[in-house]
Amino acid sequence: MDSMSNITRRRALFAGGGMLAFGGGVGYVASRSGSSEQHYVPATSHGSTETTGFGVDLAGRPIAGERDAEVDIYYWTDYLCPFCERFETETLPEIGRNHLDTGDARLVVLSYPNIGEYSMPAALWGRCVWSQVADSDPDAFWNWHSAAFDEQSESGTDWADDETFTQVTERTDGVDASAAETCRAERADSIRESVDANLAVAQEAGIQGTPGFVLYNRESGAAGKMVGAHPYENFADAIDQVTES
Amino acid sequence: MSGPRASASRDWARGLREALVYPLTSDVRLLSAAVGTVLTYVVLVLSSFPQFSVQVLASDPTDVVYAVSALTREVYLSTGALGLALVAGYAVLTGVATTNALALVRRARRRGASTIVGVLPGVFAAGCASCGAGVLGALGFVGAMAALPFDGNLLRAGGIALLLFFLARAGDPRTCSVDPA
Repeated sequence: MDSMSNITRRRALFAGGGMLAFGGGVGYVASRSGSSEQHYVPATSHGSTETTGFGVDLAGRPIAGERDAEVDIYYWTDYLCPFCERFETETLPEIGRNHLDTGDARLVVLSYPNIGEYSMPAALWGRCVWSQVADSDPDAFWNWHSAAFDEQSESGTDWADDETFTQVTERTDGVDASAAETCRAERADSIRESVDANLAVAQEAGIQGTPGFVLYNRESGAAGKMVGAHPYENFADAIDQVTES
Repeated sequence: MSGPRASASRDWARGLREALVYPLTSDVRLLSAAVGTVLTYVVLVLSSFPQFSVQVLASDPTDVVYAVSALTREVYLSTGALGLALVAGYAVLTGVATTNALALVRRARRRGASTIVGVLPGVFAAGCASCGAGVLGALGFVGAMAALPFDGNLLRAGGIALLLFFLARAGDPRTCSVDPA
């Protein structure tokens, strides 16, 4: 057999170096967190009791942006979803500055519990915190929302439990943790039902994971779907397309 | 009992070693293994969130680097360092296996099969008579296992074990020796 005699030192070194570079590159990309970790707090937020033309029930949902914005961005998310955290820190701030704060679009935060066992309880926390501060201090919700995503650990979903979310709630200025606890105990079933209703809208639109988005022109009824943490440019193009259609 | 067993395990170890070093025997084979590794990694990572991958690539194919890097981090955060290492390891073994499988195909053609159509069924279905199971058949099976979303790490480890099994069984693709009876 001549296989051993054909293996040159140069080729072996090259293969070894290539394996190291491949492994190192994968490890580097995996461990690198977002380049611009920012948190977005919208200039204006509001609540609504309407059901939109697309079929999304807005009651009890946080909405960032102006009430009369032309385009709705329905954002299905999960506090346990790492890809959502990427969207929150890398893309949402730019969308906020360029489209939400300018009055062109508004973003509705909707729950899509799909990552772990605590996904639904985490969604309940979010809804209860919003219901408590929606009228008095909506910025407190967005601070809580960012802090909840910040709790994501390097790996897995074990970090998500009652203790973690209670601590996040207690730490966030303007949010009463005991009131949120009471809400979770008393309104859990009704909130779950309303989450499921909007979840059905997402699934009907073909969204199978988080983050998932539907962009909807409230005047023309035109809509488009996006799935995943796309770069900002893709969102900007999609918003322009839906606005013009 | 221990004699034949020890001999068999030595044969397996030798076969695996010969299969793993085969890409080192020429520049073209090494390049082929590298390309197979990178392509497998990209396909595996993109398949972890196919809806997102299709949308990003349809919007701008040059965003493939963004998609692979975003989903690499996603795989790491959702399956841990072990999960990501298994995906990378699987990609390397697939690069080696595809290179070896190509050698099997070429060798079979030289032995008389006049067209690729005459060669592929053997490689896919059963491999050459003395090399055992078809390597490409194994690739399809373990690839499907590695792409499955549930309990990913266990399945990925199973896929890698199967790939190692088939590589060891085939050994150096140029030497399809028949075991003495």
